[in-house]
Amino acid sequence: MAVLATEIRSSAPRWLIRHETLLAAILAVALAILCVFNENFLTIDNLLNQGRLMTEVGLLALPMTFIIITGGIDLSVGSIVGLCAIILGYSWKNLGFPLPLAVVFAVGVGGVAGFVNGLMITRVRVPPLIMTIATLALYRGLAEGISQARSVRNYPEWFFFLGQGEWLGVPMQLWILLAGIVAAGIVLDRTTFGRTLYAIGHNETAARFSGLPVDRTKLIIYTLSGLAAGVSAWVLVSRVTTTRSDMGTGYELDVIAAVVLGGTSIFGGVGTIWGTVIGLVMIQLLKNGLALTGVKGDATIIVIGAVLIASTLIASSLHGRREVAS
Amino acid sequence: MKTAALLILGAAMASGSASAADKWDGADDLPTSPLSCDASPAAAAAAKPYDGGKVTGAADKAGKPITLVDVPKLIGIGYFNATTKGMQDAAKELGNVKVTTDGPTEAKIDEQIKFIDNYITRGVDGVLFAANDPVAIAPVLKKALSKGIHVVGYDANAQPDAREWFVNQAEFNGIAKAMIDAMAKEAGEDKGFAIVTSTFTTPNQARWIAEMSAYAAKCHPKLKWLETVEAQEDNVLSLNQATTLINKYGDKLAGLFGMTSVATPASAEAVTKARLCGKVAVVGLATPNAMKPYVNAGCVKSVVLWNPVDLGYAATYVMRAVVDGKLKPGATSVEAGKLGKLNVINGSEILLGSPFIFTKDNIKDFDF
Repeated sequence: MAVLATEIRSSAPRWLIRHETLLAAILAVALAILCVFNENFLTIDNLLNQGRLMTEVGLLALPMTFIIITGGIDLSVGSIVGLCAIILGYSWKNLGFPLPLAVVFAVGVGGVAGFVNGLMITRVRVPPLIMTIATLALYRGLAEGISQARSVRNYPEWFFFLGQGEWLGVPMQLWILLAGIVAAGIVLDRTTFGRTLYAIGHNETAARFSGLPVDRTKLIIYTLSGLAAGVSAWVLVSRVTTTRSDMGTGYELDVIAAVVLGGTSIFGGVGTIWGTVIGLVMIQLLKNGLALTGVKGDATIIVIGAVLIASTLIASSLHGRREVAS
Repeated sequence: MKTAALLILGAAMASGSASAADKWDGADDLPTSPLSCDASPAAAAAAKPYDGGKVTGAADKAGKPITLVDVPKLIGIGYFNATTKGMQDAAKELGNVKVTTDGPTEAKIDEQIKFIDNYITRGVDGVLFAANDPVAIAPVLKKALSKGIHVVGYDANAQPDAREWFVNQAEFNGIAKAMIDAMAKEAGEDKGFAIVTSTFTTPNQARWIAEMSAYAAKCHPKLKWLETVEAQEDNVLSLNQATTLINKYGDKLAGLFGMTSVATPASAEAVTKARLCGKVAVVGLATPNAMKPYVNAGCVKSVVLWNPVDLGYAATYVMRAVVDGKLKPGATSVEAGKLGKLNVINGSEILLGSPFIFTKDNIKDFDF
């Protein structure tokens, strides 16, 4: 058992490096092609703008990487974004909270929503897929119920700084995303907590017998996912200046696509933050580049789907060869 | 364990997707202006000064070829296919305009913003839009204006200062009057009715319903407003919601309003399936082709709409006039090809005309 574990652990990084190098290579080629076809693509202005548009999904992709590494999934993130956005607007406009407090409250509600997911998954042992499908509908329903379909508008000008302003020439929200990436990368790569995630993903029973705090770890990552959704909602409301109950609909698929494209195995045990970042950038820039080159909306979705399938195929063929080799 | 999961799932399903609110009246908190009860024209409102936005640094392309992008609420539905056709017709007539329609496949505001943002980067001479949310779309439209790109809206407005002109297909209170009057005539003055709408957050539908509520209270106070339900823009959900209303209220329900081109035919289908044609009136906004079977069968007497092909056509002519400098702040009318002269209302809106009512006698003349 121990031998097997060491074997997987020692060979996994090699395969990971190869997958991410490959992905980065594909990304570079795609960018080069898009750059040739459109002069507006590789401009600082456009790239920073894309970073701005990427932040909301990006923030969700970081804890999602943790969750998928443990073999779990969180389908409710898009709905939590909607719920937090509504809570932010509602507590400010209808409950009379000062706006900064409303922001804190909304992010807190996101954390609670994630904590509830984690609690049911660890205590009642509802499979993550079922639990978060249920809360996908539940949280969205709450958002619609609380808002009564009333959009919240007329936020003060200073509130838009986060979503539309910039610092040192870089969009504000991109700083938050960068900080999140660095923090998540360090946690996953350099801490016991990070290694626990891989252990759970490889073999949960073994992790339990090794005395690792499996349930507590899971509780933490689902709560983190909810908190990230809260921050994401804050950024989103600040960017589009309006709160609506349908905000964040469908985000879960964009997030999971980025994480999986980045080489994190849906079966758990394998994955890195850097892979997720590459996956995220790749999807965003492909979408943008294709749009700028004049490819229409529906065709873009087809291309993204094809890239996702192709890179997964390449990754799994590499994976297969490794097993034969070892 | 499994039971717990199923319970949660059940509760979640029940609270999700389709919600309903009694007497929901639009809830957009904007003032209403119901028209007078008889057919007399509304008192001419005092001319409002131009309140649209201003483009900065636009290249002078008067009479020169221009490239436009059209970003509707969503692509792939009959209604916006019709506006697209109108734009292409106008582009062909004008000869020096190229229009591309591109947009999200679902009516989502942040998707729509991304499309417009990308086209600003790509570089176009003008943006035509139908907003999914009037406020949320404003910053990206202002960005376009600040980069010398002309902005004209149609179908669903944005905040006035975020675009130069808006082509208004029909005034909200005009639609509301046509709808409520038709219902009172077909169902009876003191009967109950219900509404099937898209979602409570869709601005046009919310506005119409708010105006309908105000007009009904003023001119047909005995009509009983039973319930308003959401059905997205989804065929199956619309049919289910209409059927639920029929079963829930029984004899108390004498009429159904459909607020979208999807909800109206689905409501008519539900009434037909329940064998209640003639007992439950269906009045709604819809495109003629979808309604022909029900109108010809006598199950639906009036369908209210404007011509979306004309709407797209007019929007393109308005954009050309703006670029050519022929439509300036303060103008009172604009020439729009085969549509003739269109009037400016409310400061910076161009009115396409009165709502059109399709009946058994005229519906065969329309194909869209």
